[in-house]
Amino acid sequence: MKAILSVQGLGKMYPGFQLEDVSFTLQPGRIMGLIGKNGAGKSTTLKALLNMVQPDSGTVTMFGARMNENERDIKEKVGVVFGGIDFYPLKRLSTITAITRRFYQAWDQRRYEEYLKRFELDEHKLFKNLSSGMKVKYLLALALSHQAELLILDEPTSGLDPVSRDELLQIFSRIVKAGRRSILFSTHITSDLDRCADDITYIQRGRVRLSADKANFLEAFNGLQRPQDQGRLTLEDIMLRSEREGMDEAAL
Amino acid sequence: MKLLYKEWALAAHPSLYIFTFMGCLVMVPAYPYTVIFMFGCLSPYITFTYARETNDAWYTATLPVTKRDMVGAKCLLLMSAQIGQLLISIPFVVLRSAIGIAPNPVGMDPTLAWYGAGLTIYAAFNLIFLTNYYRTGYKAGRAFILAMVPVMLLMAAGEACTHIPAFSFLDDNHPEQLLRQLPLLAAGLLLYGGSMAAAFSISAKRFEKVDL
Repeated sequence: MKAILSVQGLGKMYPGFQLEDVSFTLQPGRIMGLIGKNGAGKSTTLKALLNMVQPDSGTVTMFGARMNENERDIKEKVGVVFGGIDFYPLKRLSTITAITRRFYQAWDQRRYEEYLKRFELDEHKLFKNLSSGMKVKYLLALALSHQAELLILDEPTSGLDPVSRDELLQIFSRIVKAGRRSILFSTHITSDLDRCADDITYIQRGRVRLSADKANFLEAFNGLQRPQDQGRLTLEDIMLRSEREGMDEAAL
Repeated sequence: MKLLYKEWALAAHPSLYIFTFMGCLVMVPAYPYTVIFMFGCLSPYITFTYARETNDAWYTATLPVTKRDMVGAKCLLLMSAQIGQLLISIPFVVLRSAIGIAPNPVGMDPTLAWYGAGLTIYAAFNLIFLTNYYRTGYKAGRAFILAMVPVMLLMAAGEACTHIPAFSFLDDNHPEQLLRQLPLLAAGLLLYGGSMAAAFSISAKRFEKVDL
């Protein structure tokens, strides 16, 4: 099966931080969770995928085409949601939509109106007057209405209440169900991924510690189990213990 | 054109619309008309600051466009506002002449040379403002201050030369004097076109290296 997204050897050097040799592959119909603590390089990776950050090395391929050479065509099929960023806060949703739809040949107005109803979004509201969850839902509605095949979501559930988070996770599962679309989803709330992710890519201090399907990922960290543990480790346990392991090494 | 529409509908600060219509100020008697060009420089600064605060670049980067397209759209926005302002002033210059408003006692009259001066001022401003802004993609204040230095000098030079007898024809609206001013208008147009092409090329190269 042709991968929807393939990242090979992505690197970016900043003063005091380096993203190094980041590689992973996302297949159609999958939800991949990109995990790591704050500052590990998750957002930089996502921005590099979209050419918002200029990588120093590596290649990004989406739908079988190189991003650098086919940016416009590729972005037609990509939906992006940045949690916590307000776009045009003083504009009405209807205004933002009217402009956005012009950029997508595959825009489906009927589908957009269905999503507005399903997400209970009022188009006459100003963007700033939406709650955090509603903002994410609105951006998702835009992404899904142009029939994006790959959704890139940066911390979409951060700051949301448990009910809104649960609702969004159910939406994500429904999106990929048909096997045509995929989601790459960065978060530090690992419990969300325990529930909906098929694959996990763990970024630690700018490097990919492991990228694998969830079962293999959990298996690979069996070595972190302690005698007193009851049952398998969760993603949160794995992250906590791995990060502490790193801190102890640094202390030595 | 989709991006230009997006710029006017989403990214432009309301002052850009208002200052574009400031071309009508040529109807005001006894007013330093070169100030109109200052409005044409101030509004891009306000709009770029507003765009930064509304995360315009982030949003645009998620659309199916490249960073080069994003710079091109901002250049077109400036051009449409500034050229629009000058075009809007034309019927008011005609009206001014038709109703017999007296020559401007406090500065340059809206002659062809005045239009040439405006285009030259905008050419200098855009080249410096855009190329400096796109070094970082967010430092609009620094870019504006740097760009306003030649703008103020050119404005002062434009107003001053009408007081020098050898250049007094620049302030004269009689047809034979307007004919003498034509080369200045042509030079202004050439400078403006060349400056925008250079500003786009340099800014796009710089912005491609900027990390959002």
